[in-house]
Amino acid sequence: MVENYAILPCNGLDKCAGVISREIAIKLCENPKNEIICPVYYRVAEAKYNKIAGKHPLLVIDGCQTRCASKLSAEKNLKISRQVTITEEAKKHKIELGSNLRLLENENALIEIIQNGLNNTEVKVTQSSVETSFLVKFEYETYQNGKFIFRVPKNQEVWFNENDCWVYVIGNRARIGVTDFVQQNLSDILYFTPPEIGAEIDQFGEVGEIESSKSVFELISPVSGKVISINETIVQQPELINENPYESGWIAELELTDFESDKELLIGFDKYFEIVKNKVKDVNG
Amino acid sequence: MSELKVGVVSCSGEECLGGTISRLATRKVLEELKLVETVTLCLPLYLAGGKEERNFAKVFPTISVDGCDKLCAKRSTEKYSGKISGFIDVSKIIGNENALNKKIVRNKDLNKEHLQMIDEIATEIVRMIGSINPDSYSGKSFCGCSCGSDQ
Repeated sequence: MVENYAILPCNGLDKCAGVISREIAIKLCENPKNEIICPVYYRVAEAKYNKIAGKHPLLVIDGCQTRCASKLSAEKNLKISRQVTITEEAKKHKIELGSNLRLLENENALIEIIQNGLNNTEVKVTQSSVETSFLVKFEYETYQNGKFIFRVPKNQEVWFNENDCWVYVIGNRARIGVTDFVQQNLSDILYFTPPEIGAEIDQFGEVGEIESSKSVFELISPVSGKVISINETIVQQPELINENPYESGWIAELELTDFESDKELLIGFDKYFEIVKNKVKDVNG
Repeated sequence: MSELKVGVVSCSGEECLGGTISRLATRKVLEELKLVETVTLCLPLYLAGGKEERNFAKVFPTISVDGCDKLCAKRSTEKYSGKISGFIDVSKIIGNENALNKKIVRNKDLNKEHLQMIDEIATEIVRMIGSINPDSYSGKSFCGCSCGSDQ
């Protein structure tokens, strides 16, 4: 049986995908048990929409990769049960969306596919069934020192601690890992010891270890929360951390405890990029 | 100097007919009536911190279109980008009873009378665009990045 949703669409009005997000939300609300959250009015009527979000599992519908609705749910510390990005769904179903805001044949076909998918999928609000799609490709700024290249992702949802670990936050979930600075300094990574699933981690608590022939690095968690999954692939192939510690080499996913508070002790791209440059200069001269 | 553009920012309104009419009237202006002269400013993106949207509204004339007297679009735009060039409260034109109708929000449910309301609001947006004095913005251009340049 399908549960009822609190639905937070992005409601964009500069791309067709935003218009689709609104249309799907409104169609789903033809079932009177579903309730809609207006992403704009939410900023004014917080109590009203917090109540709705607390009553039902939250379905977030983002139009594009900017993910305004997911960002808003993160800002409001909401627990996301389902998340859909229209442009990704279009790609998945090989449907080309128009360049204007009109909903024509292709757009309506996609709306129907997504709506049917949402109506026919059982949703359980458990930690393991929480579906959040983290980006698999980041945009990077790079700093080169000799033959070594240090990448730092520029995505606004990625934060860093000074222990060279990163966290990528969507809603109440986070993916964590180490930065290029760690993997370059460790050189060839040979072992990865993951944290235990279900473990409660404090901010700046240890969340696994990686080991190379040179040394062992304890991962210092940038955020507090419960470990809900680990990257099983790197247990077998720890070299993926060397290949790309931000994408295929991510470490674990956590359900966040209090990101608003954790954020005060984290740093964004601009500051971390400067820190990395200074660290590299200190190490390599 | 690049051509002067007018930004139109519509409320997101999905809970009542006024919001639907705001969005559709805004689209009619952007897509048909003033295709070249206008750009849309996406309000959810603007509120999520969209720098390009915010900087545009600081530099160029911007008109807000709201479905009801909560005036979410007007208030948000003025909060982050300063005074706007004009605003429309749809409920003042089509009446509160129509604007706050929560039963009709989907495009497919609109009847002839609703389509006339959309035309009426679109005409009002166009009138407002026409009343903007381009000399007030002479020499301003928007470089498209997030630097906020208004050279």
